Amino acid sequence: MQDYDVFSRCHPAVNFLFFAAAIVLTVVLFHPAYLLVSLLCGGAYYAVLRRARCGRTFGFLLIAMVLVAAVNPLFNTLGETTLFTLFGRPYTWQALCYGGCAGMMFAAVSLWFLCGGIVMTSDKFTSLFGAVIPAISLVLVMVLRLIPGYWRKGKQIAGARKCIGRSGAGTRKEKIQGGMDVLMALSGWALEGSVVTADSMRCRGYGAPGKRTSFQIYRFTGRDRFITALIAVTLAAAIYAAAGGSARAAFIPAVSVAEVAGFRPILGLAAYAALLLIPTFYSIREAILWHSLRSKI
Amino acid sequence: MNTKKSSWRFWLSLVILLVLVPLTVLVFSRFDRKYYLAGLAIIVLTTAAFFLHFESRKPQARELVILAVLCALAVASRAAFAAVPHFKPMLAIVMLTGIAFGPEAGFLCGAISGFASNFIFGQGPWTPWQMFAYGIGGLLAGLFAMWGILKKAPKGWKDVIILTVFGFFAILLIVGPLLDTSTFFTVATSYDTSSVLAVYLAGVPVNCVHGAAVALTMLLFGRPLLERLQRIQIKYGMMEP
Repeated sequence: MQDYDVFSRCHPAVNFLFFAAAIVLTVVLFHPAYLLVSLLCGGAYYAVLRRARCGRTFGFLLIAMVLVAAVNPLFNTLGETTLFTLFGRPYTWQALCYGGCAGMMFAAVSLWFLCGGIVMTSDKFTSLFGAVIPAISLVLVMVLRLIPGYWRKGKQIAGARKCIGRSGAGTRKEKIQGGMDVLMALSGWALEGSVVTADSMRCRGYGAPGKRTSFQIYRFTGRDRFITALIAVTLAAAIYAAAGGSARAAFIPAVSVAEVAGFRPILGLAAYAALLLIPTFYSIREAILWHSLRSKI
Repeated sequence: MNTKKSSWRFWLSLVILLVLVPLTVLVFSRFDRKYYLAGLAIIVLTTAAFFLHFESRKPQARELVILAVLCALAVASRAAFAAVPHFKPMLAIVMLTGIAFGPEAGFLCGAISGFASNFIFGQGPWTPWQMFAYGIGGLLAGLFAMWGILKKAPKGWKDVIILTVFGFFAILLIVGPLLDTSTFFTVATSYDTSSVLAVYLAGVPVNCVHGAAVALTMLLFGRPLLERLQRIQIKYGMMEP
């Protein structure tokens, strides 16, 4: 399948900046219109990244959203308008509205985290933070490399045990005991190997005196500079509008939501949408470009 | 061997813990909707402080590799129990790391294995909370070992039983509620005590199952792993890492 997502090929710092801005703004700008924009943009980018495989997540998030909205008034009994009484506690309209916004926030933040998890792969993360926390980044790289190996080794040990009649099947107790035996064999093997790895690292100069440089595979190109500027401008506009109170919303005791009318609120919402649509826009542009160029050949 | 410490990282970690965290609390107490962001900010800052402090010590290769191996074992331990549903032994290994190598190693092992496992099972809004909660689990075990309540080399059944009981209650009272807090903050405005209690009580059954798995792993696996870690230290002449 053709990969149209330009944004995931950008510099990790740009990716990180975007997702940090998206997540923090979604949490801070607790206003129905802003939350809806964030939810839709997050959904759009997730659909771009996952294509046909996004349906299940959307279904799950929709259920979670409705659940959070419906459950919130059970915990939060403040608010003027009582819809009905449940378990002797008032179920209020204001709490339901708040719950609806909280549900949207939950779904939107989840979507941005999911997109971030797809775009910010572990190699990007370690390349970005390798200079600040070199040892931790190295440990993370080693862990991510070791896990599949241990996973396989665990299966091999279980297989070998099966051959001598200890399949690990049976009652729950036998299964757990079998798992413990595998874990014991695995840990002994892994710990012995660790010393060899460490000695080899030391012999090849890890921890030697002198300044260490780190290899950087990602370069900050003109496109990265342009996208960073775009993020900065839209972010500044959104913050400017929000600072003027256009993203203010209060639910308790009565619902009072700032109207989206006038220059500053509309500018704020538009800038917010523009910011969150940057990756989706680049993907769609790339797809159109690809198809239009291909048809000419 | 380079023994010079990286001092700016050490001072930065101190500044974060002593200045930035209280400042965050102060700033957010003036805002209206503060809970989720304030919690997140404090967690991220604390984790960063731990990471920077570890970096400032310029850790040696053996220390790094042992830490990486234990983190990977913690994550991969799930594979050994694929046949048993809901059996998560990960935190038991994190706690045993804390007991054997101290509170700092325990925190790092918890935070890193939480982060790494989320690269496999999917990142989400819970990632920072999970890293922090698992880290605190390892840190607590390390502290209890430092105070001599948990033994680095358990001898009789008594020591093993203490390990088991510690594992269960650490999950039920500390790590589980910390994980529940992340769900709680996403839907919270202003709560009265009864609602807070209700949210935490709703998490008790899940935490009990989790705690039981960890306790069982501690009971059966605690002593062998601690002995193995000691053996490695003696066999290859490693001092306190």
